[in-house]
Amino acid sequence: MISDFKKLFAYRELLYSLTKKELKVKYRGSVLGFFWSLLNPVLIMLVYSFVFSIVLRQGIKEFAIFLLCALLPFNFFSNSVNYGANSIISNANLVKKIYFPKEIIPLSIVFSNFINFLLELLILFIVLSIFKYKFYMYLYILPAVIVVQIFFVSGISLLVSSLNVLFRDLQHLVSILMMVWFFGTPIIYPLSMVPERFQFIMQLNPMAVFTIFYREMFYYIKHSEGFNIPSLRVILICLGISFGFFFLGYFIFKKIEPKFAEEV
Amino acid sequence: MVVLGNNPAMEVRNVTKHYIIRHQKNPSLKDTILKGREMYEKFSALEDITFSVNHGETFGIIGSNGSGKSTLLKIIAKVLKPTSGEVIVNGTVSALLELGAGFHTDLTGRENIYLNASILGLKRKDINKRFDDIIEFSELEQFIDMPVKSYSSGMYMRLGFSIAINVNPDILLVDEVLAVGDQSFQSKCYKVIYDFMHRGKTIIIVSHDLDTISDLCGRVIFLKKGKIEDMGDSIRVVNRYRAYVEEIERQRIIEQQRIERKKIFKSIIDSKRKIIDGEEIDRISKLGVGEEFKNRFGSGEAEVTKIEMLDEAGNLIDFCKSDAAVQIAFEVKFKNIVENPIFGIRITDHRNFVVYGTNSRLLGIKTDAYKHGDKVRVIFKQKINLIGGQYFVTVSVGNKDTKTYHDWIINIMTINVLRKNNSEGIADLNSEVSLKEIFKT
Repeated sequence: MISDFKKLFAYRELLYSLTKKELKVKYRGSVLGFFWSLLNPVLIMLVYSFVFSIVLRQGIKEFAIFLLCALLPFNFFSNSVNYGANSIISNANLVKKIYFPKEIIPLSIVFSNFINFLLELLILFIVLSIFKYKFYMYLYILPAVIVVQIFFVSGISLLVSSLNVLFRDLQHLVSILMMVWFFGTPIIYPLSMVPERFQFIMQLNPMAVFTIFYREMFYYIKHSEGFNIPSLRVILICLGISFGFFFLGYFIFKKIEPKFAEEV
Repeated sequence: MVVLGNNPAMEVRNVTKHYIIRHQKNPSLKDTILKGREMYEKFSALEDITFSVNHGETFGIIGSNGSGKSTLLKIIAKVLKPTSGEVIVNGTVSALLELGAGFHTDLTGRENIYLNASILGLKRKDINKRFDDIIEFSELEQFIDMPVKSYSSGMYMRLGFSIAINVNPDILLVDEVLAVGDQSFQSKCYKVIYDFMHRGKTIIIVSHDLDTISDLCGRVIFLKKGKIEDMGDSIRVVNRYRAYVEEIERQRIIEQQRIERKKIFKSIIDSKRKIIDGEEIDRISKLGVGEEFKNRFGSGEAEVTKIEMLDEAGNLIDFCKSDAAVQIAFEVKFKNIVENPIFGIRITDHRNFVVYGTNSRLLGIKTDAYKHGDKVRVIFKQKINLIGGQYFVTVSVGNKDTKTYHDWIINIMTINVLRKNNSEGIADLNSEVSLKEIFKT
């Protein structure tokens, strides 16, 4: 696996080129390119805000911001995995004709979505400062959370994209799974609303832990005292699962990779 | 990164490739769980291939379709993984397998150069260095900032080729790409290949164009059904391959002739049985009855019962060489009184174009009167001055009035003329060429 990483490092410029290509293709042909990609979270935010703060009257203050802080990181995850699932198959012409470490394909999708996520975060920061959130106070934690999340997202993407070559119906399963995952992560509700006995199980999901961190950093800074980080045990488990998935995904991807050229 | 010295540029060691042919190409998760994955067949594309290519050598791979050439090249390019065995490559490889693979049609030519070159393994600063060369070679300066979806297929290919050759590999793999593009692009490609050769690069070429192979390559391997049939000096191996292809072609012709003969024989038997049965059938009413008689018409007062081709010595033959002398013989049986019939033959080519037609009257033979039960054997001695290919013989027994026919069978026999050389046309006019040097420095 170390030699695989070395090879990947040698091809880092290709990762850069392909990531750039993904972003360019996405925003090509429309000046508002990037803003179109904001449409999806904004619409979801409007719909959920209407449902939760006007219809159901949950009593969560400034629900839109509450939601946005968790929705953006989750979108980074779900978009990466959803697009990544089909990436090897849709790049069949490359896979069949040219030799290069193929993990670059799903990884380029992860990174292009990551760049997108960063831009969305900038927008979020603007919104936060308008509403007088001191989001900058714990900003130094953000890089660590993002790095761990990138490893986790990459792991799931590698896993799904390679398995999807062997089992083509997986991509349908993935989109359903992502929906379940969305509701299983405390995005439209706070973790505190979940019954105590489920809370620990829920925190086995790294996305839930990331969400807690993002929300502590950006939302609760205004609505609660101090910084309520999850317990050390939860953090360690989250790290274990995230890196575990990364290595598992990478390992399985590399196992299936030799078959790509014949199967796609 | 070239490791110079005595070690070869590339070594293929005991490479075997089996493909698994599954009855359902992409099984779903459900099928896999329910049925397992046992529904497949093995297909052996390459079997224990071992050879090595030296630095600076131009090496050819030939073989008929399905012999494993492209699979081998893809394994060398590391696109496919061999089932067993290994390929050791000393140096960087660039494969001209598919030009412009990985182009994104929404991106401009410029962006695609960066993208494609980095896919082929170039570093960004190397791309910057070679960028102008790439554009210059492709002759696409004024289109370089347009999206490639607006390119013609020729422009697309030119850009792909320019990038691939500017990757400047130690080993270049070429798969039939020299056969694409217009004349000027092709000659440009050849120039690049020659240039590579002069710079001491290693080139591996797969092609069906045997002249190119024997022209460019020093050594050649000849693959047959996934195995190395022969390897060595290009001229010798290419000749051996040519002989093999000719043999295959000959076998095919013999087989075809056999089927043809069987058909004719069957039609003769059928027509005989009808006579034995004493059935008096109006020949004209038989028009269009049965496969064998579809192309036959006439009053039926005389009937062609047999046709064959013989060589000069009188041996039955199936095919002949261009400008061989042969005999086309057919037998005619009379059912009624026929006075002075005219026996004719016509030779047509595969486009149904009449190459030659003649008859006994034109050739100055006066025929007798015949009655029921008489049998005649008509022999046309013929020189086949034809270019190689497939020709068909039509025979006829005509009335002396030259307007009506007793029997006329279209394309009853096939003559396969073997190719003498690659001259074109229909008639072989037996050219002889000579040179007289008037002035020479």
